[in-house]
Amino acid sequence: MHFGIEYVTQYRYDGEVVDNLNAIRARPATTSLQRCDEFHVRTDPETRLHRYVDYFGAEVVEFGIDRPHDHLTIDVRARVTTSDPDPPPEAPWSALRSPAYDIAAGEFVLPTGQEPPPERTADLVEVTRATSPLATVRLTTELLRDRFVYDPTATFVGSTIEEFLDSGAGVCQDFAHLAVVLLRAHGIAARYVSGYLWARSPDGGDDSMEVATHAWVEALLPGLGARDEPVWVGSDPTNGVLAGATHVKIGHGRSYRDVPPIRGVYRGQAKAEPEARVTMTRLDPQTSPRA
Amino acid sequence: MPTAPATPYRSPDGIYDEAVGPSGAPREHAESLMSAVGALAPEQLAALGKRRDRSFLQAGITFDTIGPDGQAVDRPFPLDLIPRIIPAEEWSTIKRGLAQRLRALNQFIDDVYHGREIVREGLIPWRLVVSRTHFARPVVGVRPPGGVYAHVAGLDLVRDGDGSWRVLEDNVRTPSGISYVLANRQAMTRLAPRLFSGYRVRPVDHYPQVLVEALRAVAPADDDEATVVVWTPGPLNPAYFEHAFLAHQMGVELVQASDLVVRGDVCYMRTTRGLERVHAIYRRLDDDFCDPLDFRSDSVIGVPGLVRAYRAGTVAIANAFGTGVADDKAVYPYVPDMIRFYLGEEPILQNVPTYRLEDPDMLADVLGRLDELVVKPTGESGGKGVVIGPHATAAELAEARRAVLANPGGYIAQEVVRLSTVPTVEADGRLSPRHVDLRPFAVFGESIRVIPGGLTRVAMEPGSMVVNSSRGGGSKDTWVLEDDRSDRTPEPEHAAVQGERLLAALPEVRWGGSWVGQSQQQQQAVAAADPPTPTPTPTDPPEPR
Repeated sequence: MHFGIEYVTQYRYDGEVVDNLNAIRARPATTSLQRCDEFHVRTDPETRLHRYVDYFGAEVVEFGIDRPHDHLTIDVRARVTTSDPDPPPEAPWSALRSPAYDIAAGEFVLPTGQEPPPERTADLVEVTRATSPLATVRLTTELLRDRFVYDPTATFVGSTIEEFLDSGAGVCQDFAHLAVVLLRAHGIAARYVSGYLWARSPDGGDDSMEVATHAWVEALLPGLGARDEPVWVGSDPTNGVLAGATHVKIGHGRSYRDVPPIRGVYRGQAKAEPEARVTMTRLDPQTSPRA
Repeated sequence: MPTAPATPYRSPDGIYDEAVGPSGAPREHAESLMSAVGALAPEQLAALGKRRDRSFLQAGITFDTIGPDGQAVDRPFPLDLIPRIIPAEEWSTIKRGLAQRLRALNQFIDDVYHGREIVREGLIPWRLVVSRTHFARPVVGVRPPGGVYAHVAGLDLVRDGDGSWRVLEDNVRTPSGISYVLANRQAMTRLAPRLFSGYRVRPVDHYPQVLVEALRAVAPADDDEATVVVWTPGPLNPAYFEHAFLAHQMGVELVQASDLVVRGDVCYMRTTRGLERVHAIYRRLDDDFCDPLDFRSDSVIGVPGLVRAYRAGTVAIANAFGTGVADDKAVYPYVPDMIRFYLGEEPILQNVPTYRLEDPDMLADVLGRLDELVVKPTGESGGKGVVIGPHATAAELAEARRAVLANPGGYIAQEVVRLSTVPTVEADGRLSPRHVDLRPFAVFGESIRVIPGGLTRVAMEPGSMVVNSSRGGGSKDTWVLEDDRSDRTPEPEHAAVQGERLLAALPEVRWGGSWVGQSQQQQQAVAAADPPTPTPTPTDPPEPR
């Protein structure tokens, strides 16, 4: 699939601020499944942009506006081509013990330090144990969608997994954080993914949609043959499905904190009123045989 | 004939006393000192102690401790009046051992943030490295100016029952204590000048100069033009005295976060003349609090953008970000292997025998004799959470067992070192043996320089082996003797400190206020089949502190 993405964030301060420094993680990653064809960031007020690639491989755009200002607009435009992944390999549990899996899993099987007490997740771990790692990924994904309610008013950006368990409701960020903990409890390497999600409008007719930044997970599944490399498979517990061409990945990390779309600080007494809007547009005709 | 002390000084059985041999006779290097001390009546020593406390309080040389009632107590830093003596040839081994260890630690830090060769060689597991609290992902792949990571190191040494020196702990983040080394020496020369007679003691007061030279050597600027600053968290920090003292002695500015600002990818200091570029920062706070954009995002203290400037190579940070990966207690057991791997040498100073508790066999063995061992949490420093088996109550041991079982990888266990003793003056003026350790300081700039001696920390109670100053320990002036055959090169003269400074033609900072965290966006895309979501709910930015 071929998308145009417009991601505009506006902060209106109720007074003047200075030294407004921000780090943006918004560029669609280029992976075996997707290619970022264009990427532009513009800010108002204008300023110089610095770019670097972070530890987990995401491109970060940093900038600072030192002179006094009372508003900040960050305008991100991107074009990206995605494709559906191959069917995920269904290897037995024993395949998790191979040295190749161990190396590929790296730090993504370790505790993140944000786990709730084990007794809070024990029953979820138990009911998501299935016949293979892939079956457990599928089951976890579906179970979270069924057991938890999507409700943007239930949690906030800094909510913990325990708060999500308490309220039984939250947003994709919370679903993804919990999924990572559950999968790791099974010994499956898992990581938090930040990105964009194409959502077809309810009437199915529109080519341009207002969406929001999205979060899901990637689980590392062992390859089928002894020589096959393990593969990272995207899985979206908010929607109860494996990720496909509608999921546009920005980057991954241990949790939201490693890949926040925007992180910033400024100096001044004023407060901000942020507004964020993500618009995705299908650039290829929907009748395309590849869609 | 020297007068015998009022009560004969005796070292406990099985403990190495540094001043007196097993027969009760002073060791050769301590003869002159012991006879001079013996000539003083207990009352005279007690009176001298009172004079010392008064002068330390007046000079503001104090240390906060937590009293028994839980309140912080500001008390004069307790300097014992009897110096500790290290003979020249012994020091020469220590010095070579420290420099060797610091070179290896520095290479290890470079390696884990770049090629990871030691991991690929199978000498240390990657998961152990990457799971250290102080492993700094924001600086992976970043090489510091001058290639030095650990500019200031304070490695803790102890002496075992046979008198051999061992490394107890590495400190390569922000080791403190050097100001007490300097203050102790100055106080001793004033209070008890006669004790020095007959000894040629190597000076320590050039430390600030050594440090500023090292920072200038690595700073990304022409040698004499580099602007160096000392960054303190502020007057509420327990070591603020040391920060202020060092900045003054180095002849550089003492700054706080609000004095520093990053524009583009360059760090500046705010001065009355405008912004002035900074080339090297001796920072005395943890990575977590240095830059809210790259480290802890819930922290709004620090200098936003500093990591960007560091990444761009425009500023040297001492110590560099991420050095804490090397002084973690779970990494400590691997240091001898690092020395062999990176330097191709055998370690000159040995570790204390240490057990990693992730290993189930070691764990079982350790749990079976917890009352004989020392248990330490891996990510802490300053004696926090340390349980000394032989001195612990049954309840403390049970608690330690529970903590270790809950998270074996979070702890190490070590054999108890029967710390050496040194004669120490009790409140009534009599001498008794107290356990000591030693924190020598090494500075790494163009080369490694070790300051003779270091901070000797003394346990507050006879028999106790807890020597951390934050837990009520005292200190001693530590004398390294000149070698008569010394080939020591004289220390360079105090160079002009004030370099020509760059006046930046940049706008003034108008707000003196603190930093405010930009509201973050929750990732909250909706289920694919649902109607579009409204814009994200704004979250309140943290209150300015």
